[in-house]
Amino acid sequence: MNGAAQGASVDWAALSPLLALAGGALVVLMVGLFPGRGVRDRVVPGLALLTLAVTAGLLVWQYDTSTDLLEGALRVDGLTVTLSFVFVVAGMATVVMTWRHLDPVESPGPELYTLLLSSIGGMVVLVAAQDLVTLFLGFELLSIPLYVLCAIQLRRRGSLESGLKYLVVGSVGSATLVYGFALIYGAAGTTGFAGIAEAISGDLSSDVLLLAGLALAIVGFAFKASVAPFHQWTPDVYEGAPTPITAFMATATKAAALGVLLRFLDVALLPAAEAWAPAVAVLAAVTIVVGNVGALGQSSLKRLLAWSGVAQAGYLLAGVVVGTSLGVQATVFYLAVYLLMNMAAFAVIAARERETNLGDSVDALAGLGTSRPWLAWPMTIAMLALAGFPLTAGFIGKFKLIEASVASGYTWVGLMIVIGSMISLAYYLKVIAAMWMREAPAGAAAVAATGPRPALAGASTEAQITAPTRHTRRGTGELTVMAVLFGAATLVVGIVPQPLLDFAAKAGEAFPGLF
Amino acid sequence: MSATTLAWLALALPLAGAIVTALGFRFWRGRAAGYVGTAALFGSFACAIGAFFALQGEPAEGRQLVSALWDYAATAGLDAQLSILVDPLSILMLLVVTGVSALIHLYAVAYMGGDRGYTRFFSYLNFFVFSMVLLVLAGNFLVLIIGWAFVGAASYLLISFWYRRATATAAGIKAFVINVLGDVGLVLGAYFLFRGTGTLDFLTTFERAPEVFAENDGELVAGCILLLVGAFAKSAQVPLHTWLPDAMEGPTPVSALIHAATMVTAGVYLIARMHPLFELAPTAGTVGAIIGCATLLIAATTAMAQTDLKRVIAYSTMSQIGYMVMAVSAGAYVAGLFHLVTHAFFKALLFMAAGSVIAAMAGNQNMDRMGGFRRAMPFTFGCFVIGGLALAGVPPFSGFFSKDEILAYTAERGGIFLVLVLVGYVAAFLTAVYTFRMIFRTFLGEPVPEARELEQGHLHHPEHPTNPASGEIEDTEVGFPGPEHHVAEQSPTMKVAMGTLALLAIVGGFLQIPKVTHLLDDFLEPTFADSIYFEALSPSDAATFVGLGLGALIALAGIATAWLVWVREPGTPAKVRERLRPAYALFVNKWWFDELIGTVIVRPARWLGSFALTAFERLFVQGTLVGGTSGIVRAGSAAVRAAQSGFLRFYVALFLGGMVALTIWFLLQA
Repeated sequence: MNGAAQGASVDWAALSPLLALAGGALVVLMVGLFPGRGVRDRVVPGLALLTLAVTAGLLVWQYDTSTDLLEGALRVDGLTVTLSFVFVVAGMATVVMTWRHLDPVESPGPELYTLLLSSIGGMVVLVAAQDLVTLFLGFELLSIPLYVLCAIQLRRRGSLESGLKYLVVGSVGSATLVYGFALIYGAAGTTGFAGIAEAISGDLSSDVLLLAGLALAIVGFAFKASVAPFHQWTPDVYEGAPTPITAFMATATKAAALGVLLRFLDVALLPAAEAWAPAVAVLAAVTIVVGNVGALGQSSLKRLLAWSGVAQAGYLLAGVVVGTSLGVQATVFYLAVYLLMNMAAFAVIAARERETNLGDSVDALAGLGTSRPWLAWPMTIAMLALAGFPLTAGFIGKFKLIEASVASGYTWVGLMIVIGSMISLAYYLKVIAAMWMREAPAGAAAVAATGPRPALAGASTEAQITAPTRHTRRGTGELTVMAVLFGAATLVVGIVPQPLLDFAAKAGEAFPGLF
Repeated sequence: MSATTLAWLALALPLAGAIVTALGFRFWRGRAAGYVGTAALFGSFACAIGAFFALQGEPAEGRQLVSALWDYAATAGLDAQLSILVDPLSILMLLVVTGVSALIHLYAVAYMGGDRGYTRFFSYLNFFVFSMVLLVLAGNFLVLIIGWAFVGAASYLLISFWYRRATATAAGIKAFVINVLGDVGLVLGAYFLFRGTGTLDFLTTFERAPEVFAENDGELVAGCILLLVGAFAKSAQVPLHTWLPDAMEGPTPVSALIHAATMVTAGVYLIARMHPLFELAPTAGTVGAIIGCATLLIAATTAMAQTDLKRVIAYSTMSQIGYMVMAVSAGAYVAGLFHLVTHAFFKALLFMAAGSVIAAMAGNQNMDRMGGFRRAMPFTFGCFVIGGLALAGVPPFSGFFSKDEILAYTAERGGIFLVLVLVGYVAAFLTAVYTFRMIFRTFLGEPVPEARELEQGHLHHPEHPTNPASGEIEDTEVGFPGPEHHVAEQSPTMKVAMGTLALLAIVGGFLQIPKVTHLLDDFLEPTFADSIYFEALSPSDAATFVGLGLGALIALAGIATAWLVWVREPGTPAKVRERLRPAYALFVNKWWFDELIGTVIVRPARWLGSFALTAFERLFVQGTLVGGTSGIVRAGSAAVRAAQSGFLRFYVALFLGGMVALTIWFLLQA
């Protein structure tokens, strides 16, 4: 009894992945201060990759952990670990895509990687949180770096617009969320999930304060997950942001938002499921319809994938609504699969952005089947998988989601998934048709031939062709490898889904209250 | 190696052959693809022989082996495995299928030598054998249905092999449609049985059937009759037989393999395999026997009046399969299967010989234009006569013993079956007549120009090859006779194949000489040990010898009649035709079955189709369903995109609207 205040005992081992991310972010920032292009172009991305690799290693080490941390503020369990894997893989892919992607003149150096690592750290906190305060902390730690990342191409107006839009709408979302939390705290008298659940199962299940708070909190999360009608920022922000950042947002942010919804709704608010489940089911249905019809007629691939991401968020919500461990498994499985198929698609988009002047337009893919089969095949697989074609991972993912919906009496949501998939074929197949059934546009061919040799005999245009374009040509080797890897993984998981299903089942086991 | 391993190998080799020949289409030169395909079949046959000995090594009660490669779906109430059943019955079929197939492949190596689709042909042919082996080895209904459907598909591919011949593609479509009708019957029948027994596995089905179904239980009879529909379609029994004569549009090795020796006997195999069920549902068995009997008579009479060489043999095939179906439906399983084996030998031989003649005629199949080939093609003539004697049932050729056994054992059932046997004897007389009509018209008499040319050692080649069926100029890119064709006299491999079959057609009957040998009886006993007819049906000595004598007499009388009518008094056919005008019209028009099916099924179906196209499809489906839904989706897309204005204030407004709506919903819960 020496009177000294005793700090909470900390399970450093369980906390280690988070610490590695935070430490790595700092190291990257500091090392980036050293002068020299070598540091900026090689060492910093290398360190970022190393950080993520270490984090992955620590996650493997903590694979079977299931424990509360920091007085119950965080919980490292199956859901945390599995989703953290998704974040880390998405982060690695983003680092690879970012390397050589941004204009050297504008290259933001180490900040980009620091922000990326911080954002991943925020995601880990978010899905591990089981207290309203830590949850909000994670939410902001995830969001604020992303605002900056979207706007990181300082001289491109699209990028700046994207960042600003995201910031403004995101602030509204965060405000809604924190207001909702305040109301929930007011009703339940506690910020811990366990306490909230306990209070609700008592007599609060029809309390006005609690229900209003619940509504606002769901809106806040729905915003982050791009659920209609809170989705409208998505196409604009995705289109404007640099492609690697879009890829990161599409995969990792989606996983984080759905992960926190899983824990928040299926742990803290499970006793009030009768109140929120029908509402969320309706949101899911609306999202599926809005996302799929919105994607029709888009000519920008990033916009198309943004709308498809909205629709997929609707599919994923189905797994949240049902409130069963089968639903959790289906959601986490689909999130992992979603990462695979989206990363394959974005790698191809990024590669074509470097190779042509057509940006992310569908036209940039025309004739890809004959000119670049190693890009065309992964893209084809990714599109088929996103549409839920059998023999791809997307089919198994959708199948599990529909199975979970039907098993819990939400057959109509399962039907919505099927109808949505039918509509989605219209735009996914359009992309495939562009690659295999259209000729490469003359413009793209000219760009590809840009170099010391004159491209065509037509001499009058030669001056324009040889004039230095704003984009200097950069190689796409690593992107091709990435696209092939993720495309192959999509196929393999579609044929042998069991290992990944077991992985996702681990997340389902994290919720002992569910059946 | 165990019997099941060898059976799996016998199944795998033709599949491997099909894939290898198909994938190597760029590399095969000359006859390489043919030799690869033939080697695969001989390997498969060797495996079948190995499996036979391995099975004989087992104790008699342990000769029903099931081997599953993997479970496709093994959930509660469903046991869909990729499994095979190796027992004496399936091994017998395996031996016949792979053995005859190997010989026919060998024949085709030379016979198809001039065809542009040589590689494609052997790939198809290997695929067919794989499907057929899958069918006979199937250990449950699922695999049986797969094999059944594959066989139909392979048959379609091979009938339409010369796909630029309009008649060939039409025949292929006809065969496929009728076969699919049979597939539907088989699937529905399997479903009826599955609903009762709750299992797809054959042996378990047979075990449970007596517990689940009473004798002549309505559902069981329905299931068995549906199985019979499948059997009738594959085996060309009335009224699902019209595809078989048309299938003669395919190359002759195809006719020999698929439409004589193997595929068309699948129905016989099916009934024999399902015998525990048919014995529980005697009504279905009687239906099968009557249909078989009707077929054997209708086909035999039709064969009398046809002039297309291959079609006559096709009708005789139908007729012979009618005997087999009658036998196995009546419970004379061994007799039916015995005839299946001998028929495979002599009918494949007849087709091969016919193919040789047709090649000498440069593709023409019309008997009216043939004659006097005896001296030009002595080997073919000899083979044709051996096959003909076996088909007509002249002792001691193989068909004599097997046909006699069918009639003798079926007669033992008594009652209505005696009538059926009587019809069988009448048809046996007709068989002898039409068989020797073929021989006399083709090989005797004045040599036609083609025969004379061949006697000079030169094969006839027309300047412009024409389709014998329609007379149109042939596209020789893919069409027979192509630039080259081959007769047995000039090709050693064809001679080997035909010689082997001729030998088998002579001695095949010695497997089961009444009261002397009973090799098949002994071999098949483990499969049919549970049968109520297997032991019970055994004709007395007197009945046996009366039957043998009668059969021999009838065959000889038939041959003598044919000799009188077509050789001694060549004017007779015209006179008979005059006198029996209505009967002749009936036979030459094939009992008007094509017209009947056309009026009863095809025309109403076509009317319904055109109605559906004009009224239903255009107005309802295209207009309302497709136009309506895509219109709604398009309108929704426009609305969503209109809302996506790019202005943050609208976004936030919608955000707040959604928030208010959600909050109101939650407050309403309070």
